[in-house]
Amino acid sequence: MNISTGRFGPLLAGAMAAFAVTAAAVDADAQEPKRGGTAIIQMKGEQRILNPALRASTGVYYITGKIVEPLIDKSYDGYEPVLATEWSSSEDGLEITFKLREGVKWHDGEDFTCDDVSFTAMNMWKELLNYSTTLQQNLEAVDCPDPHTAVFKYSKPMPMDLMLAAMPDLGHPMPAHLYEGTDILKNEHNTAPVGTGPFKFVEYQRGQYVIAERNDDYWRGEEYPYLDRIVWRFITDSSAAAAALEAGEVHESGFIGVSMADVERLSEDDRFDVGTKGYENNVAHSTVEFNHRNPILADLKVRQAIYHALDIDAAIETIMRGYAKPGRGPVPSTGGANYTDDVPTYPFDIEKAKAMLDEAGYPAGDDGVRFKLRHRPAPWGEYTQLWAEFYAQSLKKVGIDVEILTNDAPGFLTGVYRDHDFDTANGWHQFRADPAVSTMVWLRSGSPNGTPWTNQFGWQSDEVDAMIDAAASELDPEKRAEMYHELQRISMAELPVIFAIEHPFISVTSKKLINHHNTPRWNSSSWYDLWLDQ
Amino acid sequence: MPILIYALRRALQAVPVIILIMIGAFLLLKLAPGDTVDALVGDMGGADAQFIARLRAEYGLDQPIWVQLWRYMIKFLQFDFGWSFVYEQPVSVVLMERIGTTLMLMAASLFFAFTFGVGLGAIAARKAYSTTDNVISTLGLVFYATPSFFLSLMMIVVFSVKLGWLPVGGIKTVAGFYTGWKHVWDVALHLVMPTAALSLIYLAFYLRLMRASVLEVAELDYVRTARAKGAGEARLMFHHIMRNALLPVITLLGLQFSTLLGGSVVVESVFSLPGLGSLAYQSVVQRDLNTLMGIIFMSSVVVVAVNFLTDLLYARLDSRIELA
Amino acid sequence: MSLAEASALPPEEPSRALVFWRRYRRNKAAVLGLFLLGVIVLLALTAGLYEPVDPLRRAGEPLIWPFQDWATPLGTDQLGRDILAGIFHGARISLMIGVVATLISIAIGVVIGAIAGYFGGWVDDVLMRVTEAFQTVPNFVLLLTLVAILGSSIENIVLAIGIVSWTAPARLARAEFMSLRRREFIEAVRNLGVGDMAIIFKEILPNALPPVVVYASVIMALAILLESALAFLGLGDPNYASWGNMIGQGRSVLRVEWFVAAIPGIAIVLTVLSFSLLGEGLNEALNPRQKKG
Repeated sequence: MNISTGRFGPLLAGAMAAFAVTAAAVDADAQEPKRGGTAIIQMKGEQRILNPALRASTGVYYITGKIVEPLIDKSYDGYEPVLATEWSSSEDGLEITFKLREGVKWHDGEDFTCDDVSFTAMNMWKELLNYSTTLQQNLEAVDCPDPHTAVFKYSKPMPMDLMLAAMPDLGHPMPAHLYEGTDILKNEHNTAPVGTGPFKFVEYQRGQYVIAERNDDYWRGEEYPYLDRIVWRFITDSSAAAAALEAGEVHESGFIGVSMADVERLSEDDRFDVGTKGYENNVAHSTVEFNHRNPILADLKVRQAIYHALDIDAAIETIMRGYAKPGRGPVPSTGGANYTDDVPTYPFDIEKAKAMLDEAGYPAGDDGVRFKLRHRPAPWGEYTQLWAEFYAQSLKKVGIDVEILTNDAPGFLTGVYRDHDFDTANGWHQFRADPAVSTMVWLRSGSPNGTPWTNQFGWQSDEVDAMIDAAASELDPEKRAEMYHELQRISMAELPVIFAIEHPFISVTSKKLINHHNTPRWNSSSWYDLWLDQ
Repeated sequence: MPILIYALRRALQAVPVIILIMIGAFLLLKLAPGDTVDALVGDMGGADAQFIARLRAEYGLDQPIWVQLWRYMIKFLQFDFGWSFVYEQPVSVVLMERIGTTLMLMAASLFFAFTFGVGLGAIAARKAYSTTDNVISTLGLVFYATPSFFLSLMMIVVFSVKLGWLPVGGIKTVAGFYTGWKHVWDVALHLVMPTAALSLIYLAFYLRLMRASVLEVAELDYVRTARAKGAGEARLMFHHIMRNALLPVITLLGLQFSTLLGGSVVVESVFSLPGLGSLAYQSVVQRDLNTLMGIIFMSSVVVVAVNFLTDLLYARLDSRIELA
Repeated sequence: MSLAEASALPPEEPSRALVFWRRYRRNKAAVLGLFLLGVIVLLALTAGLYEPVDPLRRAGEPLIWPFQDWATPLGTDQLGRDILAGIFHGARISLMIGVVATLISIAIGVVIGAIAGYFGGWVDDVLMRVTEAFQTVPNFVLLLTLVAILGSSIENIVLAIGIVSWTAPARLARAEFMSLRRREFIEAVRNLGVGDMAIIFKEILPNALPPVVVYASVIMALAILLESALAFLGLGDPNYASWGNMIGQGRSVLRVEWFVAAIPGIAIVLTVLSFSLLGEGLNEALNPRQKKG
């Protein structure tokens, strides 16, 4: 089920990807697709900004993926050309060239050309798009030798497999003619996007819904897309979302939009497909984060003892209802060649945990308490909350008293990542196809205070920093993978952070939807081949 | 026009209160840990340091608080509520999109609470200390004691999940595209449970107050006189007692307008209603200061206006009684 | 006000307590309220005796239905925590929140109301503008903001609830002070050269308190409801078993295991009901109106 991000050599990838299209589009389902109908999608949170070149977030792609297309998408067989048809890299890795698809029109009728790519890359991807500003920091220019060729010029080598892994999420061109000469952040099209995708934006009613309707001039041909319309409904309450699914008011609830109890219950209901397929690109880690400034936690033995005190399997069973697996460091098992499971592990063992704490010099006091920790849980809903309580209970059993400090999101992010006012914290962090643009920020030191989900733990290793930097510009995929394996081993041995549980997201999908979850980032993809059996 | 002068004086009195509220709210919100950029970055799933610094400068959040307050108040005094960084729209637009739902919910709840509260209260008072009274009064206390979110959840279980009679949330059937009366009916169906959940506690208030008030008024001389003159019970009730007994109930109506908006925070969240209550909650959590300030301003103006109107109503009812 | 104590007094001159109790007793509903409150206080007092003593600890399999397993008579929640233990310990938290938040709000309210009512003039004007400002802002929105600022520890939640509910006692105290300050006995004390603060707190306050005390039952009920609403929105203190927390978490298993939310919900309803009934009884007993009918 996993797709290697570095399976193809950089030069080979373009050619290989050409085959991939047809393979991905055809599903095992032999039914004749039906035209028409409205698919209704539940969204847990409102997205507000509908410009994927300003907001790198799965929630944004969930909507805009249907309206605005990236240069490249990902299928189960590799990279799939979308607005770019071919790509290649120069020997030295300083130039990456994309051939752009001809005859593609924006929804307002203008032609899609290299100007759009160049404008978006220089003004949004490099300047304004979260995560992308790091990825593209060495981008110097995007040249347009002809309207359908874009040449990205870098001051330092850019590994092709990193670029490819990032492009499906961080490579959405926007129409230059609508943005040039305007205040980009306040441009009206940020909430009413114009793209090239199979669906055209119609209406965004804040707090209620977004509607997009069929693009009759879609470049893939007249038969696509099959659906007439897609409606995204904002239902924040997860029990209301489950009820809406059952009442047939909603066809798809992605990114765990309903409670885990309802996930389990609906998985036994034959009207729904419930599963984690289609999220291979969107795996997240539930974490335990340490503040190494606390001398107790600076002791490796204590951190290891805490890991031993956590019954990860029980947590997966009770909190995640089995839809997860134990974490093995900063690269998840869906991370392809960059993943290894040859790492140190810490099986659940209360006695061993107690012994290690004794050894570290923290014997239990008369009240059975060794020391106290102040723990901040991220307010990301049901299972981060339950995982925090599970963590507190588990530590209590080995004599560590945990006080949970509840905050809302800004309070949590400020408390942990800016003020460092915590002993331990838990939350989750999403893996974004390549370690260089996602989980390495947990280990790399030097992020300024206040940057969420970065190494603000007071832990630093020169060796790790150097290796992360080297891996980010290593052109040889095999050497690159080797570096990430080593980083995983160091991270599991030193435990700057515990990547406790690896969990993909879960979708509950009505069986009336056909061709769903047929790509590894399906909820973010364009759904041109999705249809409704009614 | 004495009423106009009175209105003007009341409005002038309200100005310092509202300015006090605005400055207080602004400073209070600035005390909260984190700002809207933290919230946005949290929503996006993270961002790098340059991006964060840039966003903060863009929104003027890198300035000292006094500068921010000054800039805000200058704009505010020109009735410009600023820009919502969370919605990337002017605050006035964000509020206008939401206010309809909340006003509908509030009006429906107050109407329901008022009619039933006053009706049941009057019945209970006329049959004071009978079984009917005991049942009604106890029911009132139970309504009062039931948290609105608990009632909402239980109603969802019964009416949406088990019986399937009512929609679980939202303000309308999104993919329905109904027009005309079908649309009205659709919206009404969506408002049944939220209205019930929001109004019960107020129903309980009005019921208890009305009961006490009717009992008191019924003993007043003019009612006795009317009864002695042979006025029928129904006539007595509607023409003589009700009018006077309503006075304290109407005062309460004015006072409770702001708590009603507070109550709609929870109800709108449970039923996913796109109103000002859930917006207020989201704005606090997202540190969307301009939007929250806009909501507070709007609700303050409404409260002041409603209090003024209830005073007028009060005066009107009162003078008639004196005429009678 | 126990009966035994009261009956020791001569019958023709019944004590105030006995008169009070006789009046109170007339209202059957108020007696029921007292009984309910007694049960809740008993729950709170004996919480330490019931196993498991730590209500946050896993006591059995997750989501056992009530009356299935006598180790966990009212069932368990998603993390296998005993719901009955939560009810026991939640009673402590709810009572504590009710009492402390009420004390805070009355303390703030009485001081502000006393100063405004006693001094009058511009002091009164300023303080009443501030009170109006507080009344104008939706109290739950203010509460959310305060909790966002202070964080969700139980102490801060109680403080925040106290801060958002002081306006009504302030108005009551102000009205009492305004009518009492011109009374003869106060004038007399003032002529003796007693300072303002001494007059406010020693002479007027004891006379102004009764209506405020009756109102306290309303604040207590509201405080418990406010805390549960906060907890329901996920802003409660997770280090304690509070009924609001339990409902909030039960919400995610509502469709099937509805008992997880319903049991603590009923506990809240009964507690708030007991305070309301008690308040009603106190009110009738303290301000007896002629009963007709």
